[in-house]
Amino acid sequence: MITEKMRAAAKELLEKGEVETVIGWEKGTFWYNSTPAFISKPEQADRLVFDEFCANNLAKYLLDYRNADGKIAVFVKGCDARAVNRLLQDNQVKREKVYLIGIPCPGMKEAPKTGAAQDTASLPLLAKCQSCATPNPVIYDQLLGDPVPAREVPNRFAGVEALEAKGADEKYERWGKLFSECIRCYACRNVCPACNCRECAFDANGLNWLGKQNNLQENQMFNITRAMHVAGRCIECGECERVCPMGLPLMDINRKIIKDLNELFGSYDAGLNLEDRPPLGHYKLDDPEKFM
Amino acid sequence: MKTIAKSKVSALLDEIAKEFNLLVPTSGDGASKFAPYTPGSQASFDGRTLLPPKDVFFPQTEKMYKFTTDGMAGSLETVLEAPKHQMLFGVRPCDVKSIHELDHVFLTKGFVDEFYQSKRDRTFLVSIGCNGPAEPTCFCQSMGVNPQEADAVDVHLFDLGSEYGAAGKSENGEAFLQKYASFFNEADVQLPAVAEFALNPNVEGITEKLQQMFDHPLWEEVSKKCLGCGACTYLCPTCHCFDISGRVAGNQGFNFRCWDSCMFSEYTRMAGGHNPRPSKKERVRNRFLHKLQYFPERYGDLLCTGCGRCLSKCPVNIDITNIIKQIREVELA
Repeated sequence: MITEKMRAAAKELLEKGEVETVIGWEKGTFWYNSTPAFISKPEQADRLVFDEFCANNLAKYLLDYRNADGKIAVFVKGCDARAVNRLLQDNQVKREKVYLIGIPCPGMKEAPKTGAAQDTASLPLLAKCQSCATPNPVIYDQLLGDPVPAREVPNRFAGVEALEAKGADEKYERWGKLFSECIRCYACRNVCPACNCRECAFDANGLNWLGKQNNLQENQMFNITRAMHVAGRCIECGECERVCPMGLPLMDINRKIIKDLNELFGSYDAGLNLEDRPPLGHYKLDDPEKFM
Repeated sequence: MKTIAKSKVSALLDEIAKEFNLLVPTSGDGASKFAPYTPGSQASFDGRTLLPPKDVFFPQTEKMYKFTTDGMAGSLETVLEAPKHQMLFGVRPCDVKSIHELDHVFLTKGFVDEFYQSKRDRTFLVSIGCNGPAEPTCFCQSMGVNPQEADAVDVHLFDLGSEYGAAGKSENGEAFLQKYASFFNEADVQLPAVAEFALNPNVEGITEKLQQMFDHPLWEEVSKKCLGCGACTYLCPTCHCFDISGRVAGNQGFNFRCWDSCMFSEYTRMAGGHNPRPSKKERVRNRFLHKLQYFPERYGDLLCTGCGRCLSKCPVNIDITNIIKQIREVELA
């Protein structure tokens, strides 16, 4: 079982003093909550678990350890591993400062509506996992368990294409309504492994890039800027949409941008490897320049 | 007790809407919240709303003053939008308690906030009781709330299954029940037993204990997974921190206040750049100390109603009931 292997791996790394902290998951409030865990002593390793509710992308926490003295071990699913690649490409973390323990991911499940005990097999996959084409970690030092077959993803842009087919007024009305719901808690930004600015423009309130009023104008400014700022760097882990308390379909926006980038600069999936640079992160002589 | 069949409530609401600006729980498009009722529309009385009713009294953004300048002259005007007589219908006992906490903040200790008061005074409250946890994350009972009955309202409705039992809780409430008597029957009723809550944090003595725990390593531990977003504070029915900011265009402008969150990195940042709460440890600690120590010290009440919204929507499952448990388990030297 993966959970036992996790605990053993964490215990060994901590006992040998190879890492100072291991970031994994542990059980939370209810049986359907698994939550990030930070283990720094071998005897705490038995808190670790891997089950169908380990949806949190742990790569984001590496930013908290940018200046740590020792090495940090982190468990990575397919999406988490792509996030690590992105952070490495952005020079946010150094490869020699992280130890990656890969876990092939069967896909994470939704929490049951009522909280009543039931068979996890009967719970639907999280939306973010239904369109995942990289369940296996793409970078790791150690892999626990056997790779899982990649899921058949028919066309992850189908939703975007349906939206593109609508008229401009209809689209404006739809997004206006959705952005009006935004409470600007910034959970989407804070959970995002592509959001790694030392200080976010929206927190630099002296500059007033974004006013603090909650209204459509400011909410649009926030949501569109957030999406454009992660353009080419979004690894499609879907965490933003999963954590949005208001249930806004944020991945529709991210996917629209990915689709546009693919059409402009050729097909690109962020974080699949360390070699391919993000389309907006470098310059090529044959880049399209129709807009100039 | 006066009773009304649940199937007759929408007819009652249609009638009330002629007199009041009526706000009811809705779960149509987007998140469930209190929204204006229009005759024929559907109110949703299942469980509690995701968004608490606090914005009815304390909007997320609210204009306060507008001003103009003209050379050395100028004008300043308070923007006080007097709302119509309004009714909040279907508030759960946890949220009734949150309104009581907000009253402490905005109406007592020698200062009355006129923006809050103008809305609060014109709002008629109708609560609906719960016969158990509305959501798995509910723990109102542990916070001293009676889930079946709220008192600080005008009318309370007991949930009796297929009907509600109505009790007038104020003079206005009694008058209301008289006026709409044709919708109600008189019947002997028995309240169902309260179903068991899964979460039962024990808060006995917690304020006194926390007074000795400001520098305890627990805060470092429980804050590690916090992402620093404001979902918990913005969904909280009692969190009430705000910031005042303004917009100026040419020779006129306005000041507004808007919700702020102690979880945000810039919340305590000073003009010179110094931040006395530089990391999430200090911010998370402040949030829990405010709820469980500072507020009780000042007002004698916990700043938590056990509604469970923060717990159900936290992206990383930071659980106030678990933190209360850990605080209890700490052994002080």
